[in-house]
Amino acid sequence: MPPRIPLRAHQAIPPPAVRFRLRLQRRYASTSPSAPEIYDVVCVGGGPAGLSLLAGLKASPITNGLKVALIEGQDLQRNRLQKDANLDSFSNRCSSLTPASVKNLQEIGAWRHANTSRIQPYQEMQVWDGVSDARISFDWDTARSLGPRKPTQPTTIAYMIENVNTVSALLGRLEELGGVDIFSSTKVDSIELGKDTEQLDLSSWPVLSLSNGRSLAARLLVGADGANSPVRTFAGIPSRGFDYSRHGVVATLKLSGPGWGGPDHKIAYQRFLPSGPMAMLPMPGNFATLVWSTTPERAAKLKSLSSTDFVAMVNAGFRLSPTDLEYLHTLPSGQEEEVAWREQHTPVNERSIPVRVADVQAGTVASFPLRMRHADTYTGERVALVGDAAHTIHPLAGQGLNQGQGDAAALVRTISHAVETGQDIGSTLALESYNSARYAENNAMLGVCDKLHRLYSVESGPIVGLRSLGLRAVDAMGPLKGFFMNRAAGGA
Amino acid sequence: MRLSSTTSSSAEEPSKSTVDPTEVSHFNALASSWWDPVGPSRLLHLMNPLRHNFISRCRSASPSASPTSNLRYLDIGCGGGIFAESAARLPHTASVTAIDPTPEVLKIAEAHKRRDPTLAAPGKLTYINTSIEDLSQPRMLEEGYDVVSLFEVLEHVNAPGPFLEHIVPHVKPGGWLVLSTIARTWTSWIVTNVMAEDVLGIVPKGTHDWGKYVNEAELRNWFYGKPGWGEMKTMGVIYVPGFGWKEVTGSEGWGNYFFAVRRVE
Repeated sequence: MPPRIPLRAHQAIPPPAVRFRLRLQRRYASTSPSAPEIYDVVCVGGGPAGLSLLAGLKASPITNGLKVALIEGQDLQRNRLQKDANLDSFSNRCSSLTPASVKNLQEIGAWRHANTSRIQPYQEMQVWDGVSDARISFDWDTARSLGPRKPTQPTTIAYMIENVNTVSALLGRLEELGGVDIFSSTKVDSIELGKDTEQLDLSSWPVLSLSNGRSLAARLLVGADGANSPVRTFAGIPSRGFDYSRHGVVATLKLSGPGWGGPDHKIAYQRFLPSGPMAMLPMPGNFATLVWSTTPERAAKLKSLSSTDFVAMVNAGFRLSPTDLEYLHTLPSGQEEEVAWREQHTPVNERSIPVRVADVQAGTVASFPLRMRHADTYTGERVALVGDAAHTIHPLAGQGLNQGQGDAAALVRTISHAVETGQDIGSTLALESYNSARYAENNAMLGVCDKLHRLYSVESGPIVGLRSLGLRAVDAMGPLKGFFMNRAAGGA
Repeated sequence: MRLSSTTSSSAEEPSKSTVDPTEVSHFNALASSWWDPVGPSRLLHLMNPLRHNFISRCRSASPSASPTSNLRYLDIGCGGGIFAESAARLPHTASVTAIDPTPEVLKIAEAHKRRDPTLAAPGKLTYINTSIEDLSQPRMLEEGYDVVSLFEVLEHVNAPGPFLEHIVPHVKPGGWLVLSTIARTWTSWIVTNVMAEDVLGIVPKGTHDWGKYVNEAELRNWFYGKPGWGEMKTMGVIYVPGFGWKEVTGSEGWGNYFFAVRRVE
């Protein structure tokens, strides 16, 4: 019996990464039920990275002749934004899209399908140390390196957008372009290598058996199938990393006002606490989204609180000392009164922190474990990985979704060059440029975010002084800040 | 001039092959690793996209219109099929005929072709184990090929002049002969024989015989003397370890170069 990968089983338990090597799976003509349908690109996973890849391929005259398929286990239509969605509620899964990501979405024609009234650009970022209060502020005016900002220069640092809005925009664009065979609500039952028959030798081609009974052979199989990527397992590509023993608590918040800069100058806030950074990112109107990374115990506590106590804890998180916060997490309930009392004794400059949270949208408090993972390589023979299948990052810099968009754009460029020069788009040679374009860049970003996390986990001692000095020094130096902001914006 | 001195023997003796038997056995030995992307043919694989860039450049720069679809290619000295396969995959290609005198590499080419359904389509890509001398010539001018390619071959044949005489009748009027080879200079001797084969080991030992190299000026002179041929174009390329092949203007005088000439009538 040749090795066979029952994919659904592997999603539940972490796979023994290198057990199933491509080479071991070679099989020969003997039990051929029917020949598989031949595709140029089969993308597994209909998240933002996979959809962006397909839209990019179909939007380009060079690659739109490729025969492509998308396989998504969930119902894609159910994950779409309602056309008449009102602005009184927002999803708790939001991302900060960099100008580079937005530019790519514009180029592939997807951005105009987004619901713009639900997108919030922000122009300023306030980051401070919860232990020493050292602070850095980012905006394009103070980050300039040479002369005053020209009116044509951007003022937007990034765009807050619900993931469902990004996905809906990409799906809208794909429908407009057509030419993608979409298998929605369809599972991949197994992936194995094709057969060597008299007519064709598909022994290097991944053949996917789908839950709808169909069988697809892929010239290039793209794994856009998330952190536990079955495609990565099939290709035998190990992924290394660790859990931070931290959870990210998310929630949609209603604030007491539009923010200190008014509706036209929105500010993102991030406070580094020893348990992890907490961030409040602006959404349209008086809304904001919370990403609070903290210990699993505290995350569980926060989720168990009443909405008034939860709101009090979020307000406290941006105002009170780490010691106060530690105590507040030990209380079974009654945080609201306790926070009110302690705030009277903690003077803060209200204009330097987010306006008070008034309410939390019901049902939006959730948490997820934080991990860092990086695949050893993004490509194998007839396999490429994009997005979370290739890398999972600490969310503190909001780069996860942007990295996936960068992957998709780079893979489109690689495929496009291969098509123009007659290369087999699934060959390792043709895919080399994708791996070299993305691996080092993603690895650097993963490293920086990981180091930042570790740096700010320290509560006392010389490191607190040094990191505060570093933050203040960067803040005082416009050109250096400009460099950091350009990196964050995805520029050169 | 090496080339002009040999052209007198020309195409009158078609049975006398310009193929060097020691070259055939050398490439027989290399056959199995032809498609290994990190094997001995890696430099050829990396160069392949540049061949298409050069052909596109020639065809688009041409003052009179070239056909843009249903192109027919003849690839001479196709080896394991690196260029032939890629030409057959292009959307504007009608068919590719690829020939090589080395039987072992053609077996590799045939086996590799079966791995791609696009190439396996009838008539798309045809391999023939023959030398150019034994390939039947077109009876009418229109039966010639739009693109006749000769990549990294000229430096391996014994008598380039007679060899080219056999090739030119296969080019359709308006079509192109495109080739790449290495200039015969002291730099190319150091780079290809000493550095690539002996020091770095990135090219299999015994691949190159420097004495057989042909200079760009020699090719130009040869085609200046041929009525009905013109619009000559050149592109010099250098292999930079770690970066790949790079176009370097002027390097055609002393290194690897592409050369194209059009049959204008």
